[in-house]
Amino acid sequence: MTAATLPRVPGNRDPRVSRGRRVAGSPALRLIVKRVLMAIPIIIGVTILASWVLSLIPGNAAQQLLGPQATPEDIALLEEQLGLNESGVSRYLDWLGGAVTGDLGQSVVSGQEVSDLLAERLPVSGELVGLAFVVSLLVALPVALFAAHRPNGVFDRISMVISTVGLSVANYVLALILVLIFAVQLGWLPAIGYTPLSEGLWANLEGMILPSAAIGIPLFCFYTRFLRGDLVDQMQQEEYVTTARAKGVGSWQVLLRHAFRNSSFGLITVVGLNLGALIGGTVIVESIFALPGIGQMLLQAINTRDFIVVQAVVVVFAVVAVVANLIVDLLYVLLDPRIRYGSR
Amino acid sequence: MRRLSKLAPLLAVAMVLAACGSDDDGGGTSEGGGGASAGEPQAGGEMTVLEDTAFTGSWPAGLDPATNTTGGANLPMMQSIYGGLFLLRSDDDGSNAAVEGNQAESGELSEDGTVFTVKLREGIEFSDGTPMDAEAVKLNWERALASPCTCKPTWPLAPDGIAVVDPTTLTLTFTQPYAAVSASFPTSNVNWIASPTALEKQGPDDFKINPVGAGPFKVVSNQLSSELVLEKNETYFEEGQPYLDKLTFQSIGGDQAAYQALQAGQAQAYEGLNTTPLLEQAQDNDQLQVSIQAATSPYVIQLNTKTGPFTDPKAREAIYAATDFEAINEGIFGGRYEVSQGFTAPGGLFYEQEVDGYPEFDPDHAKELVDELGGLTVKLGTISNYVATQINTALQTQWEEAGIDVEIEDYQLSTLIQQFTGGQWQAMLQTAGAWDPASGVGVGFRFGSRSPFSGVSDPELDQLLADAASSIDEDERGDLYQQAAELIASKFYAPFGLAFAPANISVKGVHGPGLTTVIPAALVNSQVIWDEVWMEQ
Repeated sequence: MTAATLPRVPGNRDPRVSRGRRVAGSPALRLIVKRVLMAIPIIIGVTILASWVLSLIPGNAAQQLLGPQATPEDIALLEEQLGLNESGVSRYLDWLGGAVTGDLGQSVVSGQEVSDLLAERLPVSGELVGLAFVVSLLVALPVALFAAHRPNGVFDRISMVISTVGLSVANYVLALILVLIFAVQLGWLPAIGYTPLSEGLWANLEGMILPSAAIGIPLFCFYTRFLRGDLVDQMQQEEYVTTARAKGVGSWQVLLRHAFRNSSFGLITVVGLNLGALIGGTVIVESIFALPGIGQMLLQAINTRDFIVVQAVVVVFAVVAVVANLIVDLLYVLLDPRIRYGSR
Repeated sequence: MRRLSKLAPLLAVAMVLAACGSDDDGGGTSEGGGGASAGEPQAGGEMTVLEDTAFTGSWPAGLDPATNTTGGANLPMMQSIYGGLFLLRSDDDGSNAAVEGNQAESGELSEDGTVFTVKLREGIEFSDGTPMDAEAVKLNWERALASPCTCKPTWPLAPDGIAVVDPTTLTLTFTQPYAAVSASFPTSNVNWIASPTALEKQGPDDFKINPVGAGPFKVVSNQLSSELVLEKNETYFEEGQPYLDKLTFQSIGGDQAAYQALQAGQAQAYEGLNTTPLLEQAQDNDQLQVSIQAATSPYVIQLNTKTGPFTDPKAREAIYAATDFEAINEGIFGGRYEVSQGFTAPGGLFYEQEVDGYPEFDPDHAKELVDELGGLTVKLGTISNYVATQINTALQTQWEEAGIDVEIEDYQLSTLIQQFTGGQWQAMLQTAGAWDPASGVGVGFRFGSRSPFSGVSDPELDQLLADAASSIDEDERGDLYQQAAELIASKFYAPFGLAFAPANISVKGVHGPGLTTVIPAALVNSQVIWDEVWMEQ
């Protein structure tokens, strides 16, 4: 029996196959390599699409910056100063040539290095999205489990009302309501502004609580409803649940050890898909809370048709989406033995 | 120029949230308060001022006067860093406005109106310790005039028209008399003088982020279109000023978010409030003071006489007869603003509310005219902002009552420009005029034959406006502008409307010219004089 035909289950490895070859042949590594290779055309495609969409919006950077009183002569002069006389394709190829060597270029409007701008603003958005994501997920899990434990019970109904309301309110409205309650009426938290982590953990966190809640609350509601629904389906319809119950396993144990494990697949998929929307939510929320993140930067760059900055932010968004989906796939591998040890 | 209409849905909830958030005790309204009665200014304190991301709070090209292409919107930042050669000042209620020397000691126009002599104050230094002399001013003017920014002045400058006479004196020589020269300074880039030494040392790219001027404040940090932190310039030429130790301009996404941040105590002032329900709430809030600025640019319905239905004077007359701006002012704005019949407004020079021969509102006459025309269909556009779209909706209702079919549309800035340059537009709600009608883009921008943003081609009107801009006799200028307004009315070129101006709101205990008192807007927004802003300690 050769190494290739050995059943690949733990404890039954062929000692003649080196560790290096085993790692190289692992499903996780193959998946990572495949996804990284696939990410390259995806990211290039996204930047082409972004470039094309931006070209469809009326007006260029010169017209946007100079406003309605600008004469054609002023616009022509600024176009020349900003290097907008070249064709869109030519500018895109120039940008791409630089980007593949790690040079993201300079803002058309301000002349600042885009890599410096990203370094300055990415931590703000990263913290905002990270907090919203982690907290919403951590709160959603126990709430969904409790709700699914007694479907249509008091807790389930209360959580359903809260989730429905949370899902119905746009995050910019929610942001204003949160500010009204916690900043204006109660005075507990700041309404605007960002304090870097270097100036103190609490100073930093207190400024991020409301913005991350504005993004995180709709997420929490969505995760809660999704997971609760899936858990209830599992508990009511799946034979393995009936079998476990027949063996005398307690309802919490069935819920946590059996149903939740299966339901987590759907949740992971949804979380992965949601991450893109999560980043999109930063655009408005950062404007309302005056946070200097990449969402605010993207909005300003679109308004001024700053092609280079828009491309950089789009690349960041695309990379995050690709990495998020890769992590989701790796979690599948980790959680599901059928994938982990599936046949080649 | 309000670009952030993406946040327009916020306005839908503005009334509800504002109502929930106000400390309404039915009083405490303060308009233009806090000026003369505020007592002696006190030094010290730190202040955060909010600016709307869609306009003043957007400085994407940096703050170098020669390369800041949005300088006309960024008056607060530019005045704080550079001070200004001349400033528009007025009494606390906005009356008796006049351009006065600041870093310039004086500005004198020759009798024939072709030479303007600027005398600088002695001994002024930039915050880097280098002298702000005539050579520095000349270099700045040359850079500013080469800028594509619409905030550069439209001087009829002679070749080599800028001359240094001595270290504190310069002259500007014009090809024709130009009476509006001093009025052209306060909001244009020639008013802001940057340190040539710092510019050379840093290079233009770094200088636009960390500019150095001779104004009341120095730059501590500058995150473009996000946050500008300034500290007191200890070497400022005015003894004891500025009063504030630190001044921060924070960009924020719209009126509602700014209003709530003020209520929460996160900032002390907000410039340029437009949303009427919030304005009413702020006036009822005893923690806030409101200063409605003096309008200088009334709304106007431009009619394109070059193509489409308005080539026919009867169609234009029907629009005049169908339009009732008084009702719009009462119905939407609580009668808060004055309705002008010409391009002058209460805060500006040569203001005359009424124009002889201005067609009256007469819906029956409008219906007759529409019948005679065999029907009238109009596409009415405007820029996407709260006030303009509210007015357009009201106009649509009024015109449809007169039997006119109306399609309204609001445009983003770039699309609006395309509408004008494409030449096929029919009617546009815009603003026209300035504190001095000849300064900046002036009235000619909306009514001149050669302007791409005009719907009129009338040599007689061109001549009247040109004569008014060049005359150095103030009475004669006033007469000529009134004649121009009468000509516009008699030819039914464009009905004028309410003279709207945004408001500044601040927390109690803050005082300062333009912030808690009224200074007319030289162009779009009024200028706060930040050197003199102070907080009760």
